[in-house]
Amino acid sequence: VTKLSVIRASKSVIDGSLASADLELSADVCIIGSGAGGAVVASVLAAAGVSVIVVEEGGYFSTADFDMHEAHTVPKLYQEAMQRTTADLAVSVLQGRAVGGTTVVNWTTSFRTPEAVVEHWAKKHAVGGFHYADIVPHYEAIEARLSIHEVDESAMNRNNRKLYDGCKSRGFAVAPTRRNVYQCMQTGYCGTGCPINAKRSMLVTMVPDAIDAGARLLFRCRIDRLESSAGEITAATGTLLDASGYAVTGKRATIKAKRFILSGGAINSPAVLLRSGLNENGLVGTRTFLHPTIGVTGLYDEPIEAFYGAPQTAASHAFAHRGDDVGFFMEAAPGYPVLSATAIPGFGASHRQMMETFAHRTLHIALGIDGFHDDVPGGTVKLRPSGAPLLDYPIPPRLWEAFRTAQTRLVEINLASGAKEVTTLHDPPITVTGEKDIHLLDAARWEPCRVGVFTAHQMGGCRMGDDPKGSVVRSEDLRHHTIKNLHVIDGSVFPTSLGVNPQESIYGLARLMASRIAPR
Amino acid sequence: MNRRRFVQRGLFGGALLLLGGGGLMLYPTRRIASASKPLRVLDDRGFQVIVAVAARVITAPDADPVVLAERIDESLSRTPPEAQADLASLVGLFENALPGLLLDGRATPFTRLDGAAQDHALMQWRDSSLVVRRSGYHALRRLCFVAYYGDERSWPAIHYGGPPDVKGFSHDDSKAGTPEWIAAQDQKAGAP
Repeated sequence: VTKLSVIRASKSVIDGSLASADLELSADVCIIGSGAGGAVVASVLAAAGVSVIVVEEGGYFSTADFDMHEAHTVPKLYQEAMQRTTADLAVSVLQGRAVGGTTVVNWTTSFRTPEAVVEHWAKKHAVGGFHYADIVPHYEAIEARLSIHEVDESAMNRNNRKLYDGCKSRGFAVAPTRRNVYQCMQTGYCGTGCPINAKRSMLVTMVPDAIDAGARLLFRCRIDRLESSAGEITAATGTLLDASGYAVTGKRATIKAKRFILSGGAINSPAVLLRSGLNENGLVGTRTFLHPTIGVTGLYDEPIEAFYGAPQTAASHAFAHRGDDVGFFMEAAPGYPVLSATAIPGFGASHRQMMETFAHRTLHIALGIDGFHDDVPGGTVKLRPSGAPLLDYPIPPRLWEAFRTAQTRLVEINLASGAKEVTTLHDPPITVTGEKDIHLLDAARWEPCRVGVFTAHQMGGCRMGDDPKGSVVRSEDLRHHTIKNLHVIDGSVFPTSLGVNPQESIYGLARLMASRIAPR
Repeated sequence: MNRRRFVQRGLFGGALLLLGGGGLMLYPTRRIASASKPLRVLDDRGFQVIVAVAARVITAPDADPVVLAERIDESLSRTPPEAQADLASLVGLFENALPGLLLDGRATPFTRLDGAAQDHALMQWRDSSLVVRRSGYHALRRLCFVAYYGDERSWPAIHYGGPPDVKGFSHDDSKAGTPEWIAAQDQKAGAP
């Protein structure tokens, strides 16, 4: 039994905001990031007796912070307080920033990487360092550790039920999801940090496992650079942040180690490499994928209360494979008030009218599967003059086409489930009240900032592969092609998006790679 | 290429932003209110514009645009410095009559328009052929909604009951839910 409160108070946990002088730390292995990649690697290496220090930019929060109130939790738990966007402001980027990373705020949906995706990587992206079968035992171990299991269909909230029933009635394949929860009370607030620790996020599982096994954790420290000498990384240097997480204290940290593992996720890992000048082949930050996401909202006579109940319990992959056309998959999103208000189009009285009925509204989304077609190559992470990352993601025509088709499917699903009207997230919106006016959707203009687009799944930017000219890290152990003591282990190594929610893909790959790195 | 085509190409976007940042003003900004605390990101002119925008975006009777603008200033402090500068430029562009005159034939600053004309200006930005103006509309509207609907006092009117009460129930065990943990619990409870 490992009490979270005891772990959090242990001497191994260092709060960077409290440091009264510059910090100098050292370990065998320094892991940058404590999310789905870093926490898993830390727990495996620490259990193998390796001296590990994990460095995290975000804060170390607990259920005392998770009051299910967006205004209180979002600034603590999300990158840039959920104001991160792409360069043209057309795509809102939902990405976590805390001990435990995005797993603290994700909606718990757990899929293994589809086998066909791993085969595609081998064939098209020279990923020869592992086979799907190599990851399977690691998925199994993670599933046991994180209590990942299929949702009981009867436990679906009405938001998911409308998606599920609508798909069935339309003949679209749909299935209950699997979730990493234990004794879930179905509050619905996975997105603002689970208030009862039912979600088995990294914050309450692998991070405490690692600390329990001897790892140290420094939080409120943003790594600025990796310092190198003679082709090896010698130290990671960072800035300490105050308790708000948004101002610097003026103190710095230097972490020396024999080996460095970069696990900052798909936007921050490339940014660390770029700030460090480690981009010999020019590929760092390129092919960044988002599963760019659009949505619709259906209005029903009966209450939907999309804010209560497990957020994502049904998923349809009926249109994931569309041949030459870009595929998409469909899920539900939790309709918290701020999330709903920012998604719903318009302003003033028209917006207010929609908000007054938001408890009777579904929020259904379609996620574009980017990176599998040559002309859907993802975006590029660059650096702003201050060194902060900036993601440029021009949405290509074929992705807009996928959105057009996906939007029609989402409208059809809601109509089949009994919606009185279905409204797109265009601004101005298009509202459909029956099959007869589905043709109205043809008038939708698919251009940046004419329709709400967001992303909760950031992938790529440090892609793996066996050709040093075509990838950033090699696929057998995710080691950097030229720097022998640097690995990148997180969602940034994926050469394409996944077509499924990414958390379990990152856990499984991280555990496989950590087991290869760990001393035997 | 005529001027309109040039503008549509979006090549003008950067120049427009520069114009918004400093810019020649035909008429001064109307002073609507003072902030009750020191501002972190916005200057006083930007603050007045945000107050005016918030009053049109949030029309709920209980909304106080000055309070919303103060919250918006605070939330902007959580973005990178370049994003803060971009937003400041957008706000300046939104207010500034010169680009307004160029693009919409509007010679009056946003803060000096009446309510209906302000709504019209917002819609012109929403429907603009320039991505930079559409993005400005979305950024401004989003900031207002975050500031307003994040406040629990806004919830009853939209029939949102707020979060459920979960007091007294929380796992404080990192191994909760694992097969070994469940077996150990069963053993403790004397289960077979």
